[in-house]
Amino acid sequence: MNDIIFTAVVIAIKILIVLAVTLGLGAYLTWYERKFAGHLQARRGPTVVGPFGLLQPLADGLKLMTKAPILPRGVDTKLYYMAIMMALVPAIMLFAVVPFGPSFKIMGHEIKPIVANLNIAILYVFAMGSMAAYGTLFAGWASNSKYAFIGSLRKAALIVSYEVVLGFAALSVILLAGSMNVFDIVNAQIKSGVWYIVYQPISFILFLFCLLAESGRVPFDIQEAEAELVTGYNVEYGGMKFGIFPLAEWYLNVLALCAIASVLYFGGWAGPHIFGPFSGFIWFLAKTFGLLFFVLWVHWTLPRYQAKDVVEFAWKYLLPISIINLVGTAFFIYFKG
Amino acid sequence: MPWASSQTLDRIKHAFRKITIDTQPNFVCLNVEDTQEITNILKHLKDIEDFRYFIDFHVIDFPKEKDRFLGQYILVNPYTFERLAVKVWFKSNKLPTAKEIFPGAKWAEREAYDMFGVEFEGHEDVKRMFMWEDYKYFPLRKDFPLGGIPEQKLPSLTEVLEGNTFPPSHDYDIMHTYVPNMKDIEKTEKSRITKKGQLVLNWGPLHPGTHGTMWFLFDLEGEHIIQTDVILGQLHRGMEKIAENLHYFQFLPYTDRMDYLSAVCNELSYVQAVEKLANIEVPLKARYIRTMFAELQRINSHLLWLGTGALDLGALTVFLYAFREREKIMDIIEGNAGFRLTSAFLRIGGVHYDLAKGTLEVAKYFVKDFYSKLKEYHGLLTRNRIWLKRTKDVGVITQEDVYQYGLTGPVARGSGVAYDIRKIDPYAAYDLVDFDIPVGDIGDVYDRYLVRMEEMYQSARIVEQCIEALEKMPENEPYVNKKHPAVIPPKEYVFNDLEDMVKSFRIVVHGENIPKGEVYSSGENPRGELGFYIYSIGKSSPYRLRIRSCSFYNLSVFPKVIYKHTISDAVALLGSIDPVVGETDR
Repeated sequence: MNDIIFTAVVIAIKILIVLAVTLGLGAYLTWYERKFAGHLQARRGPTVVGPFGLLQPLADGLKLMTKAPILPRGVDTKLYYMAIMMALVPAIMLFAVVPFGPSFKIMGHEIKPIVANLNIAILYVFAMGSMAAYGTLFAGWASNSKYAFIGSLRKAALIVSYEVVLGFAALSVILLAGSMNVFDIVNAQIKSGVWYIVYQPISFILFLFCLLAESGRVPFDIQEAEAELVTGYNVEYGGMKFGIFPLAEWYLNVLALCAIASVLYFGGWAGPHIFGPFSGFIWFLAKTFGLLFFVLWVHWTLPRYQAKDVVEFAWKYLLPISIINLVGTAFFIYFKG
Repeated sequence: MPWASSQTLDRIKHAFRKITIDTQPNFVCLNVEDTQEITNILKHLKDIEDFRYFIDFHVIDFPKEKDRFLGQYILVNPYTFERLAVKVWFKSNKLPTAKEIFPGAKWAEREAYDMFGVEFEGHEDVKRMFMWEDYKYFPLRKDFPLGGIPEQKLPSLTEVLEGNTFPPSHDYDIMHTYVPNMKDIEKTEKSRITKKGQLVLNWGPLHPGTHGTMWFLFDLEGEHIIQTDVILGQLHRGMEKIAENLHYFQFLPYTDRMDYLSAVCNELSYVQAVEKLANIEVPLKARYIRTMFAELQRINSHLLWLGTGALDLGALTVFLYAFREREKIMDIIEGNAGFRLTSAFLRIGGVHYDLAKGTLEVAKYFVKDFYSKLKEYHGLLTRNRIWLKRTKDVGVITQEDVYQYGLTGPVARGSGVAYDIRKIDPYAAYDLVDFDIPVGDIGDVYDRYLVRMEEMYQSARIVEQCIEALEKMPENEPYVNKKHPAVIPPKEYVFNDLEDMVKSFRIVVHGENIPKGEVYSSGENPRGELGFYIYSIGKSSPYRLRIRSCSFYNLSVFPKVIYKHTISDAVALLGSIDPVVGETDR
């Protein structure tokens, strides 16, 4: 009985911490991105609000929240509001299977810094990634706007093609680790002493493509494409209703997928113990943010593909490569492993 | 001089006995007597004499003549670069259409109908070009008053709230010209396109992809465009009408506001047209200053194209890199003219101010730095795979399109037509500097991109040579030809010299009469050939001033090229055509 209460309390605390950290991080990622983009573009980024413009996300949030709520004519009200939830919730849910560090002991209990230690964690990630597409689709359909509609259709086409590639790319890692549990995957990498990026460089590159595509970042931001579709599916949303979409898609989704990528390919929290007891956590965050940095770098440098090219690229090149890679890995494991 | 030679004229005269030839120093035209004959003559000129490059069509209104309207075509032979005007009177307001011979005439004829109410036989869908459907008047006719016809009450807010007050709450007339309402706009939209595909996408009038208030209607089948129409006129200000009612020098600042990204180039085109008409010599220093600023402006304008074009295709950072360099050019222009964008720097007979102190050093430093910056842009885009994928073989404009639609500037050169006014009819100091004309190969978006990038490089070269020449000149060299009676003397003389003060007063108050005659003169703008046709009857303001807008004609090929391409291609194509609405609408 005591154990159950203890577990419940621990899980509640974990959920609170994860929620606070991810939402806070999500907001502060906007600051990070703006600063980063500013320096990349020979300007300084936000500087006015707070020291180094650190209070800028708060100011932005305040501004978005105080906007007049506008409901465009002809919208499907239920779907219109549901779309916001459908975009935000899967993005946050992704963090449930992110292991933030190695397990540790408190009062004789082993605690794993993960909200839900599922044994099908990677499948769960795919599921949530696909769920996020509904947010976009609903938003595009409910808005009663042609721009939003075209944007959401593009997103649907993109998700359908890249989910498949994502699955095959991650499968080869799962084959190597022999498990879908994130802890097992990281422990397998620590045990063998080699990060899976060494064995699976192709799979990692495919995963990166899918990461960019799923989170709507350049060069795959066809559903937003501001020069063609203004901002695509969220064009009819205003105020904080609008703010949720980029927060979920551009920040939370990217952050979660970067975390998963560091688990799959960079050994999660593995790294030399040079930061004392928090070493694992710091390594994990460093890897995640390193990947994030790369995503932003790409975003602010490259032009974007055309919608038809993006999908063609996935089916014609990425999918065959990922299947060959998977089969190759399977043969390798069967004969050598 | 690129006007048709006497041999050519003789040959044409020989083929058609009925026409007369009128040769002026800056204008050569055929007068066609018979309206029905015009189609044959145009065909002959196009096929036999190779005047296949359509430059312009416009109408002049003579209310007192028997046949009220005079239509005028301007054609160019793209092989010998001879230019020729063909004049024809409208018999009973009607002229056979030329759109079968030159598709570019389609829009020009629509504009002529819109502004003069003339009709074209065989042109079925003559619709309004700039005004809305159901607009009742034809504004460029001489009997249309400059202020418009007041027919609608537009009360002020005070009047709405409190009724008529005494004294009145404002000092303007409550009656106003008719302002179009939503119904008119919707009717205009409906009349332009009959839906054939799955959905009609309204692209504009305010849309980030159009770079201005341009309104596209895309009829989409999936993402493919099967029908397009462009609704122009959101920025129509009636420049040509305004010019007819102003003294020559007063119109100069208006030209800034046409293609607002290349103000100095616009001024240069206008100023040299007036100078040719009035026979004004321009001092060498002024010519060099004009060239230098025009080229700086060209770099400036191309940088904006580069930035926004890349932004349209998703490359966000190039935009700010381009603006960083633009800022430096803006500073140079501001330091000399006092304004950044609409600079009004040039004057008839010279330039407004002498070079500001230190301009040459700053410009020199800028050019030196600019070469490395240009390399940076190349590094970001030129061999980028995504960039190639988006621009190669997209929006191909053939040479035939260039001739028939009257495309000029980088759009023409991208398709391999080496038509550059700076070379074939050198103005300012372009005959004294050395530069090359880049031409493209197949005429896709990528070719136009490369042409513009190379043009920036060549412009930098020209600026360098101008700086060199200007540095050698003595300091008190004249920068304006103030001896000519039509030139306003510079302010320093006006304040210190009685004679100049009187002259300044006279010109500013009464204007200076310009001799009778006609001139068509054009300059190479960053977007193409900006031509000014001036018909002078010896007054201080033109009887008719026609602006041959490069953006307008360049845009006219858009519906043809975009057929069966996607919206994403439309963005890329529009970016590479680079129209400025201030100039398409005027």
